[in-house]
Amino acid sequence: MSALTTTPRGKTAPTTPTATPTTTRIAGSHILQASPHYTTTRRHSLYGTEDRVVVDPGSRIWKVGFGGEGRPRDVFYSDPINAEPLWGLSRASDAATRAEQDRLLEINIERRMRSVFHESLLTDPKSRKVILVEHPLLPLHIKEMFARVLFGNLQVPSISFAPSHLLSLLSVGRITGLVIDCGHLETAVLPIFAARPLFPHLRTTPLAGSRFTSHLRALLLLFGKYAPPPTNLTVVNPPLANRLTRVPQEILTALLVEDIKTRCCFVSSVFEARHDIRPSSPTTSVSEADPPSESDAAVSESEFSRASASDVPESFVSSQPGASSDSGTGSESYLQALANLYTRYSSASDVQLRVVPPISQQMGTGRGTLIVPGWIRERAAEVLFEGGDVDEGSVAEVILDALLKVPIDLRTTMASSILVTGGTAMLPGFIPRLHVELLRAIAPPGQPQQSSRHGRPAPPPYDRYAELRPLIPHFAILNNPAPQVSASSSTRAKANAGKAPAYTPALMAWVGGSLAGALKTGGMEIAREKWDEAFSSQNDDDETAITAADSEQLLESIIPDWTRIPLPVGALSASAAPKSALAPSPHAQAIARA
Amino acid sequence: MWPSIQYYCPCLSSANTLTPPPPVLASSSASFHSLHNLYFCEECDAVRCNRCVSVEVSGYYCPNCLFEVPSASVRAEKNRCARNCFSCPICRATLSVVASDPPDDGTGRPVTPLNNVGEAPYLLYCNYCRWDSSEVGITFEKPTGLAAQLQKYEDSAPESLEYERLKEHFEPFLRASSLSSSTHLLPPTSHHLHTSSATAAASAALSRDIPGISKYNPVARSRSGRDRTTNKDEMPEYKSRVEVGLFGQLGSGGDDADVELLRYTETAGEIAKLEQRWGNSWTTSLRMSELRPLRIPLHSKVSKRCPACRHILIKPEQKAQSVRYKIKLAAANYLPALSVGFPQTQAAKRAAGKGADSRNAGVMLAGITNNAFRVALTNPLYDPIQVRLSPQRVTDGRGFQVSLPLTPFSIGAFAEAWEYDDDEDMFDMEDDELGLEAGRGSRDKDARGRAKNVGVLERRANVTVVGGEVNVHKSYRGQVKFNMLVSYTYRSDDPLPSEDGAGTPSRAVVKTPEVKTFSFYTVVDLGPVLSKDDSESMQQV
Repeated sequence: MSALTTTPRGKTAPTTPTATPTTTRIAGSHILQASPHYTTTRRHSLYGTEDRVVVDPGSRIWKVGFGGEGRPRDVFYSDPINAEPLWGLSRASDAATRAEQDRLLEINIERRMRSVFHESLLTDPKSRKVILVEHPLLPLHIKEMFARVLFGNLQVPSISFAPSHLLSLLSVGRITGLVIDCGHLETAVLPIFAARPLFPHLRTTPLAGSRFTSHLRALLLLFGKYAPPPTNLTVVNPPLANRLTRVPQEILTALLVEDIKTRCCFVSSVFEARHDIRPSSPTTSVSEADPPSESDAAVSESEFSRASASDVPESFVSSQPGASSDSGTGSESYLQALANLYTRYSSASDVQLRVVPPISQQMGTGRGTLIVPGWIRERAAEVLFEGGDVDEGSVAEVILDALLKVPIDLRTTMASSILVTGGTAMLPGFIPRLHVELLRAIAPPGQPQQSSRHGRPAPPPYDRYAELRPLIPHFAILNNPAPQVSASSSTRAKANAGKAPAYTPALMAWVGGSLAGALKTGGMEIAREKWDEAFSSQNDDDETAITAADSEQLLESIIPDWTRIPLPVGALSASAAPKSALAPSPHAQAIARA
Repeated sequence: MWPSIQYYCPCLSSANTLTPPPPVLASSSASFHSLHNLYFCEECDAVRCNRCVSVEVSGYYCPNCLFEVPSASVRAEKNRCARNCFSCPICRATLSVVASDPPDDGTGRPVTPLNNVGEAPYLLYCNYCRWDSSEVGITFEKPTGLAAQLQKYEDSAPESLEYERLKEHFEPFLRASSLSSSTHLLPPTSHHLHTSSATAAASAALSRDIPGISKYNPVARSRSGRDRTTNKDEMPEYKSRVEVGLFGQLGSGGDDADVELLRYTETAGEIAKLEQRWGNSWTTSLRMSELRPLRIPLHSKVSKRCPACRHILIKPEQKAQSVRYKIKLAAANYLPALSVGFPQTQAAKRAAGKGADSRNAGVMLAGITNNAFRVALTNPLYDPIQVRLSPQRVTDGRGFQVSLPLTPFSIGAFAEAWEYDDDEDMFDMEDDELGLEAGRGSRDKDARGRAKNVGVLERRANVTVVGGEVNVHKSYRGQVKFNMLVSYTYRSDDPLPSEDGAGTPSRAVVKTPEVKTFSFYTVVDLGPVLSKDDSESMQQV
């Protein structure tokens, strides 16, 4: 693995004989690098070849710029019209549909990549090395598309794939830590030790930006209010409050929901009332609607949002008349109760937005008004913190799951250097809340309500994280803007919490990529010669019979990925070390044994 | 939009296939382009599109002031205009520099300024949304060189200072590790034998220290207590310049302040949009009112080269103000321009009479065997050409067939407008050809009495109009969209073919001129099919 991932030491001196041409080139460019404005015969070499282009291609938002700069040159939606993600978590199962999907995706990637070089950066791709920030779970076929586009269409001299989690760590000046990337499609937690990502300990959950968006959208459809534009400008219109209707489906465009998400939503502290609502609490008398018990809450709210991800549009159109229609009464009435509760305890103000009315209401009298209730703005993000599902743990639970997998002697280190990155983490209040959620998730589970059934004592509750409980004083989030250190926190936690530079979570990976570019590390370089060689020889050999399997194998040999690691140069040790399908390298094993 | 016709560029198709993908696939749209977007490489004799040409920057300029920026300062200024060009952070309109009001001298009379530059301080002002830069505390002493005046703020931006510090933090570590690994990993003797180098590398890899994991030391291992885990990296701790945890206490906002701001905001208007702040790598305020003016990004003039032979396809003139080209090999000058339309039949007229609605409904009717359409071909060459259309056979059982004249027909030569003074000549020549064509093309059609629909319909100057028909099955719904191969034969000016003939140009003139054929694919989109019932109901409305 050392030869493949971005270990700073492995990179600077390539060990394989094939890499020798690169070494000489790097050495040569060092000299060029010495004088920033060296003159060449080539007219357009504004940048030395070592000034790399750093591209962080998210499924939805791309961040691009030059290495050695503190901020990206350009940030844009990968799909400028609908802001939809370029790829999702699933592919079509039918081969023909999938091939078509892939073609479309490659076309889109090519279009974006060309615009990166020709419109955003205004530079010639033929002389620009590229650092591509990759998510560890970026599907291989997409990674190969990136390589095909960059080598084939744009003919860049080399590409380095660098794992986003590691780059994020670089941007806060560290090489060890537990990085949680809360992006659009997924939240992924990856422990990294000494610049080596411990990929087998990767943990993910689909509770991330896109789930948040669909939840928000569903809440808006249920509880948002909408006032159509006045029908007539001359007649005095009734006050806004009398014109309110439910939110029509068609005004909630993807861009509008995105706008509400990024401008109006925030994350508030834990909703304490939910705990206190038990009979002992004085607040119960105030709330008319008794919310169901905690576990029930978890199930139904997340179920609701999951349903909303797939089929909300239809079901909500059909259930327009009342909030609690007969279809799905359970979750809706529960939501109504939750809404009442949240409304009661939310101090957030309602926000009015001017929105383009649906076509049927466009009378030329201006825009409609969408009212976003304050509690939605405050509580929509609850969906990210609602765990309990085995496959879809909450954001806090995946962190704990990853910690459970980390070797015991690294746990303290990891727990006290948690770094939160990714676009969804940009929600104000997200990181402090995550810290609280961590402590909440690790707390011992409460005693079950019915202590016995059929006279038998109830089994002890499943205590998943009991092992981790000694870590509580060590928890520290590096980039916590409001570090919660108490007297019980360990000195390391105190020394780490909130001590990271104030880079924004969404751009940490890019900044790290830029640092890697400036420091000339950042992943193994794949040179274009290697790519061209492989593919031209293939064409010469058998011009007619190029099977898909062949090119697949070729790609595999050229593009490194941790999921198909050929044993590195030091592979002799593999026979000595205990064989394990998961352990990717002697280092990881060494760490595991240490 | 339909009806339309687009030209195929084979760059996306794999290896050796030159036939375009079936037009029903959504991905096929990326392979088809309108003619004016295409280039033609003379060397490769091939169409090139904007997706496959390689692009080179031939100059940078500011789109606002049209100043040509020398390449040296492009890099330093990060592709931004370094003069007075700023755009409004709220609405992206161009900002103008305005002077402040002259001071009131107490007499109540306006003081006429000495010159027309006005009084300092100067502001940036948005003529569209009335934003002005004094809102964020940016004023200028003099009205020129604003970017230079702002430069000092940008140089001291927190993200770049922190960035430099991070670099300094990592550099010694990297240098140390590269030194140690190079001595470890590349022993000079390892080149002698392949096996020895492999084993040497392997042993070096094994013996190399893993940072953080100390060498096996039983004493240290057994008795090191809590401190063992404190700092496992070899790296020293990084001390941030500005810690995010202290950021909020510095008075410039921070997370808590953001939450409070959002909690009590009434309109989304005061919160900056994602697009307005997503480029900030440094934590900034969410408030719209704290956005700073943006320097206008430069544009570039580019020349484009053929991806295969590297010849230049298009090259603009250097000057930013000029819109002319030094080299321009546009495909429109080589390929006949095709345009497709519908004849003014009864149905079409009725549909057109419906105004806006007819744009959404198809003219193609299901269950009708002779939905007519026309293709007009315009010849850009100075010689007449022979064109042959061959619509791709639709094999996958879709419910329509296209009939077009399959025999070659001619299109007159392109001539500049002033050359058309002698029309008679042309028509004489055209007439016999037309007769020939019509006789050939409509021989079998005549019998069925619709000779007028399929075949060459009209011929004037360098335009020939041919008619075609679509037979749509009753049950078919969807687009009528098909690929069509267009081949044309032209007289080549190219001396290449006659070179083997001892290069006597006279012979080429005397003999019948060398003839070459070029083929290209197009996709014809005739719009959606309308069922008969729909169309009748539409006509009744």
